[in-house]
This record gives sequence, C-alpha cells and structure tokens, in this order.
Amino acid sequence: MDDGIAQSGFWNGFLQTVPLWAGVAPFGAAYALAAHAAGLGAAEIAGMSILVYAGSAQFAAAALFAGGAGPLAILLTTLVVNTRSVLLSASLAPPLRRYSRMLRAGVAFVIVDESYAMSIGRVLRGSGPPYLLGSGTSLYLAWLGGTAAGIALSLGASGLGPIGLDLVFPLSFFVLLMPYLGSPAARIAAAVAGGLGLAARLIVPGSWYLLIAAVGGTLAGAAAEPRR
Amino acid sequence: MNHWLVIVAMAAITYVLRAAPLIVPMGRIEAGLERRLRHLPPALFAALIVPALLAPAGALLGGVRLWAGLLGLVVGWRTRSIPVTIAAGLSAYALLRWLAP
Repeated sequence: MDDGIAQSGFWNGFLQTVPLWAGVAPFGAAYALAAHAAGLGAAEIAGMSILVYAGSAQFAAAALFAGGAGPLAILLTTLVVNTRSVLLSASLAPPLRRYSRMLRAGVAFVIVDESYAMSIGRVLRGSGPPYLLGSGTSLYLAWLGGTAAGIALSLGASGLGPIGLDLVFPLSFFVLLMPYLGSPAARIAAAVAGGLGLAARLIVPGSWYLLIAAVGGTLAGAAAEPRR
Repeated sequence: MNHWLVIVAMAAITYVLRAAPLIVPMGRIEAGLERRLRHLPPALFAALIVPALLAPAGALLGGVRLWAGLLGLVVGWRTRSIPVTIAAGLSAYALLRWLAP
C-alpha cells in the first residue's frame, strides 16, 4: 500500500469524523458522571473508557455497579450489548481480507457504530483500513476527552438533551444513509429497520432494538433482492 | 469485588466480539456472508436514525426537538453535508426553544 494514500486516508477519516465529536464527547462525559455516581474511582472510570471503548456497555456496567450487581451479570450484559459488533465486523471482513492480520487486529479495536457508519462506504469501495482507522481514532480521542471532562465535572446533570446535542447522531447518519438508497431492496431494508427499531425501542429495554432492527432490516433487504 | 478485574474482562469480551470476524478465517462462508450482509449498512443507519429521532429516551418525544430534527433531515437531504446538517439541526433547535420555550 502506498504510504501517501494511507496517510491521507487516515487523516481524512480523522478530520471528517470531527463533527461527530459533538455527540460522542458529551456521551463520554455522561458516562463518567454515571460511573462516578455508581462509586467507581477516577482511575477506574478512565480505565474503562481506555480499555473497553464501548459507550452503551460502559453505561450499562455503571448502572449495574451502582445496583451492586455481580461480575457475571456485568460481563453477560457486556456480551449482549456488544453482540452487534460481530455484525459490523463480519460485514467489514470481506473487503479487509487482503490486509495483514496485524492491521485487522488493530482496526478491530476502533470499530464502533459511528466509525463503521463513517467508513463502510469507502471500505466497500476498496479503500482499505486507513480511513476507518482514522475515523475510529478520532472518535476514541473524543470518547477519552469526554470521559476526562466528565471526571473533572463529576457533578451536575448529564445533559445531552437540553441543547439538542443528541440530534447530532441521527442527522449525521441520515446524510450517510442516503447514498445507499439507490436500490428498492436497500430502501426496504432501511424502512423495515427504521420501523422495527422504533417499535423495539419503545417496547424492549436497553439497546436490543439496534440488533433487532439491524437483523430484521438486513433480512428484509435480502428477501427483497430480485431473484436471478 | 475487584472493579479492575471486571473492567479488563469487559475489555476482552468487547475486543473479541469486534475482532473475531476479522481474524478468524471464514473461507467459503464469506461469499454467502457478503451477499447476506449487503443491506446491513442501510438497515443499521435506519435503526440508529429513527428511534434516536422519535424516541430518544425510549418513549415517543415530539415538540421542538422533533421539528428541529426534521428540518435537519431536509437540510441533510438537500446539502448531503454532515457539518451543515448538524449546524442546521442544532441552530433550529436553539431558535425554536428560544421562540417557544
């Protein structure tokens, strides 16, 4: 791989992901506040963000720590909440197959919903891991920065809502979604996933709705593919 | 209970879930997988968008936030630019809250 391209891919990914910091960093701060309230120390709060880097799993763990849950319950929750990572990585596996195992092992650490969303288009077009790595690194830094800010605050309300920062994600993802809506099957996949996701969000606790909607939409899209 | 032990185990579980499909050779399975997962991106985007827009905390939420979000979607549809779309949505939210607190 040409070094120049790799470089620009990394920095493009890093910089084009910066707008999402506005959504990620406050989420990291909110996690830190929740974990602080759950009785975790500053080093433990920071350590979890550095080592785990999975927003919803960390939030769930903080809540479980607060409720005095045992290690097994926390680990089981981590497993369940992060199951969708398998789907994301599996869809990245074919286009990344030709890169070294070391590189894939490194990239795997920064595959989260947002970096996947930013990068999947480029990766499928064959651009390889640099953009994904840049985007993921960018979000990782925002996550750590948000966590640090939350630790520094360690008081006050966890306020994603009041200034509308929680709109950052749906709006960004909408822009990223549009290029995929060319085929009828893709539109069906999106419509089914959107409807299913909303219904599941209202009925099922936690972040199960993402897995339910992603699986349902993907299957609906596959079923709607024209037969050959 | 040792918090650190739990945190390190959480990290291991999370990483294995992320890395396994990329590291474990899947050979023949991959061709079929590629076809079946073709519509995962639009499905996942829609799953991230619709609930976050209509029911951010698990219950339907309308009002100013929804209107600002919908305006953001229109701007996103026209401009296809993430920063412009975010700026439009957040300014609309701030403006609407100021007009109709």
